[in-house]
Amino acid sequence: MTTQTLHPRAAEYLVQLRRAAKRLPRQRAAELQREIEAHLFEALPPEAGEADVLDVLARLGAPEQIVAAEWPTTTVPADPRGTREWAAIVLVLLGGFAVGIGWIVGLVFLWSSRAWKTWEKLLATLIVPGGLAGGLWLAFAFAAVGAQTCVGGTGIRTVCSSGPSPVVKALVIAGLVVLVLGPIATAIFLSRRGRTPAALR
Amino acid sequence: MRESVIPQLRRGVLEFCVLALLRDGERYSFQIVQALTEVEGLVTTEGTLYPLLSRLRRDGVVDTSWQESPSGPPRRYYRLTADGEAALAAFTAEWARFRASVDTLLETGAPR
Repeated sequence: MTTQTLHPRAAEYLVQLRRAAKRLPRQRAAELQREIEAHLFEALPPEAGEADVLDVLARLGAPEQIVAAEWPTTTVPADPRGTREWAAIVLVLLGGFAVGIGWIVGLVFLWSSRAWKTWEKLLATLIVPGGLAGGLWLAFAFAAVGAQTCVGGTGIRTVCSSGPSPVVKALVIAGLVVLVLGPIATAIFLSRRGRTPAALR
Repeated sequence: MRESVIPQLRRGVLEFCVLALLRDGERYSFQIVQALTEVEGLVTTEGTLYPLLSRLRRDGVVDTSWQESPSGPPRRYYRLTADGEAALAAFTAEWARFRASVDTLLETGAPR
């Protein structure tokens, strides 16, 4: 367990590294951060002075330089997710408008890809079934249930029930937002979480 | 053009230098970095060795395990895999031939 703390200069260097490593796949960025942090703990004794720290940091190189050394191996410049993965993201979001079949094709692409973990695929499948089309359909159904209902007939005065309470109204609005924004958020999540082909090796 | 030759050569051989360091047993990452920086002219920025170690892991030429450190964070120990041993043996043989040929050419101005 780590008990010693890093010199403020070294801690600042790690912050810069975290910023520079945002371009990398999340998992690799975190791993690189741990490796450099461990290097600093090894290289700097607790009594290290300012000059020692600056020397160690100079020998490590600029954070951008370290991150740049990752490029030839961990990224594929043009299309990191691959055509099939992008098709999965688009079809899971919008495929429901194509009589629902597009969404199913999207699910096939999604579940046959190695770019996402099982829990990520499950999340994308369940939020929301049918994608944006399914969300909109459910949103309309949800809104209809929450709407004011009237009962009446020939010669009888039409009686309308009072509108839903403010709590129910708030719940309906929240539900509508989740159903419509959920699939969009899921698509963004999939595009950010997808691992590069190199990272899968 | 001429200035870029040495960094390119360095990049090309560095991974085999890492494999050679592991030939006699496992080492943790900081030890590897320290050993390489002791070789004159081989490493200019220590931090860029970590992406190289990451690539060697992905290529399957090294295997790693975590072990507690007496002070500081756990250490990642590296050892050669069978693929790593084979890659190192192949490079060692090729390098000897390559170096001898270039040396001869540079010294005599003619191939052997």
